[in-house]
Amino acid sequence: MTRLKRNLFALLQPIIAVIIGLLAGAIAIVLLGDSVIDTYAEMWNGAFGSFYFLTNTLTRATPIILTGLGVALAFRAGFFNMGSTGQMVLGGLAAAITALYLPGPGWMVLVVSLVVGMAIGGLWSLFAGYMDAKFGINLLISTLLLNYIASLFAGYMVAFPLKDQSGSAAMAQTPMIDKSIWLPKLFSGMSLHAGFILAIVAAIALYIFIQKSVSGYEIRMLGNNPFFAAYGGVKRGRMMVVAMLTSGALAGLAGAGEVLGTQHRYLDGALASADYGWSGIMATLLASSNPLGTAVAGILLAALQTGAMGVERNTNVPLEVASVIQAVLTLFVSARFGYAFLKRRKEKK
Amino acid sequence: MDQLFDVSLFNSMLRIVTPILLAALGGAICARVGLFNVGLEGLVLVGAFSAILGNHLLGNVWLAILFAIVCVMLFSLIFAYISINLRANVIVVGISMNFLAAGLTTFCLRAIFDVKGAYYDKNMMGLPKWDIPVIKDIPVLGGIVSGHSPLVYLAFFAAILMQIYLFKTVSGFRLRAAGENPVAAQSLGIPVRRIQYGAVLMSGVLCGLAGAQLSLGQVTMFTEGMTAGRGFIALVATMLGQSNPIGVVASSLLFGFMDAFSIRLQGFALPAQFTQMLPYIVTLVAMFFFKDRSYLKDAQRANGSSR
Repeated sequence: MTRLKRNLFALLQPIIAVIIGLLAGAIAIVLLGDSVIDTYAEMWNGAFGSFYFLTNTLTRATPIILTGLGVALAFRAGFFNMGSTGQMVLGGLAAAITALYLPGPGWMVLVVSLVVGMAIGGLWSLFAGYMDAKFGINLLISTLLLNYIASLFAGYMVAFPLKDQSGSAAMAQTPMIDKSIWLPKLFSGMSLHAGFILAIVAAIALYIFIQKSVSGYEIRMLGNNPFFAAYGGVKRGRMMVVAMLTSGALAGLAGAGEVLGTQHRYLDGALASADYGWSGIMATLLASSNPLGTAVAGILLAALQTGAMGVERNTNVPLEVASVIQAVLTLFVSARFGYAFLKRRKEKK
Repeated sequence: MDQLFDVSLFNSMLRIVTPILLAALGGAICARVGLFNVGLEGLVLVGAFSAILGNHLLGNVWLAILFAIVCVMLFSLIFAYISINLRANVIVVGISMNFLAAGLTTFCLRAIFDVKGAYYDKNMMGLPKWDIPVIKDIPVLGGIVSGHSPLVYLAFFAAILMQIYLFKTVSGFRLRAAGENPVAAQSLGIPVRRIQYGAVLMSGVLCGLAGAQLSLGQVTMFTEGMTAGRGFIALVATMLGQSNPIGVVASSLLFGFMDAFSIRLQGFALPAQFTQMLPYIVTLVAMFFFKDRSYLKDAQRANGSSR
């Protein structure tokens, strides 16, 4: 019973956060001199209005959920992995290269590409973890810097060695991946692809891993109280390897899924400029690093973004209203961390 | 080699280093009071936008800088309130501040100027270039040091001022005490919270100036996310400089130099992607040699665990 209550309470806070975010958005809309109700109605329609829009939203949610899950695991262990963008970019690039050049039957190449994408994303993330564990280089900073390096490297790869020479393409992108290697669509004519199922499975698996397994317990312990964890014999370095590798692998999977499911090629800047990585971090913060909550928050953020596109199509309110709502949401959430802390202190007294 | 290293390279280095240095000084003063300000990037971004907005509304560069400072101070108050009063995790607050800054500036860019991506007005006045009377006639030195926007000189002046303030004045001593051991400082009657607020506001002022230099210094324009990680590089500069103003100057100069150098290298038929990578790689490598020894660790400990 108390457990149910606790879960409900955990759900209540994000709902309050959403209401506050929408209020902030409403203020912005009023300042622009538009109707709040009309705008939000358009936003709802743009996100969930029809089956087509719903699948669009879920497609957008897929990479957000996957990167969010990766970050959630790292946060749980107390590691601020800010590098999901870079891990995602490299994962997507690696998957594209594998899909383009590996011979074999389509389904096998598809699986191998996904695995390679995960491996490269994981190794890139592990590199930052290794530098922290071995040389004491602040993980937060190194992962941020690695984002820029990864994006620029991928940009170079598709601008020169891998550039699509066919067609009139002046774009920096790889050639189109063969149709047999695409992630299958879930509904014909809709953008939603099998990556969404992978994301949901990953969310459930990660939830079980964190809540039920020994390593999951050690990771939570490390995040909640590093000193107690050290006393209990948890090796920070080993945990960091596990957490960062998995975290990066999930981000890499997000990139690979985007490349194989949606774009069918690696297009320079397409992964980084859509801000999937940062939205994933936001989803994690919203859900206080709970994997299932991260999935819900990921869908919510995606709905805000696709809904805002509907708003832009049909009203005078710009698309950017979504970024205001998102930002206020996360700010509220970070304040909530504070309230939780205050409460704990009062209980101690 | 004289094509690679010449006067204009060092001249542009000083120009590029200014936003980084100003923001890094802001980070340093926050670190000194025990707050690890990850939100520098966002503060600078707000500064850059509000400087352009101020210039647009008020039609005067100096008022625009003032406007930017006020805006960023207000913005940094949010950071101060949530991390000091609500005692939230500073890193999480800093990250959300960056989100908030990015969201607000793109929204306002669209709502106020009705443009997407970038705002540019060719009639808008940028910051003037100051020629320093005697120095400008000295051959090499004049070419490097003279002819910058006033904010460039202000940045280095601020560093010296901060060095003196932190290590030679009573109030600076109290500020450091508040960061080093808040509990002990409190027991001696030092108003720790007020000092922390002051430091955050001061970093707001510095980041406002950094943003103004960014958007009004060289080109008078604002582009979405124009800070492009400079706030984070400033954070690294703070750490490498051990939150010591003079050290911060040295590390900022290193990054400014690499940045200017990477622009220079683009003339040498190297792929632009690799030259653009250079500052980030050098930053990463620099972190191997200079670890954050004391201050940020203390800062993090004072805020509970690293989480």
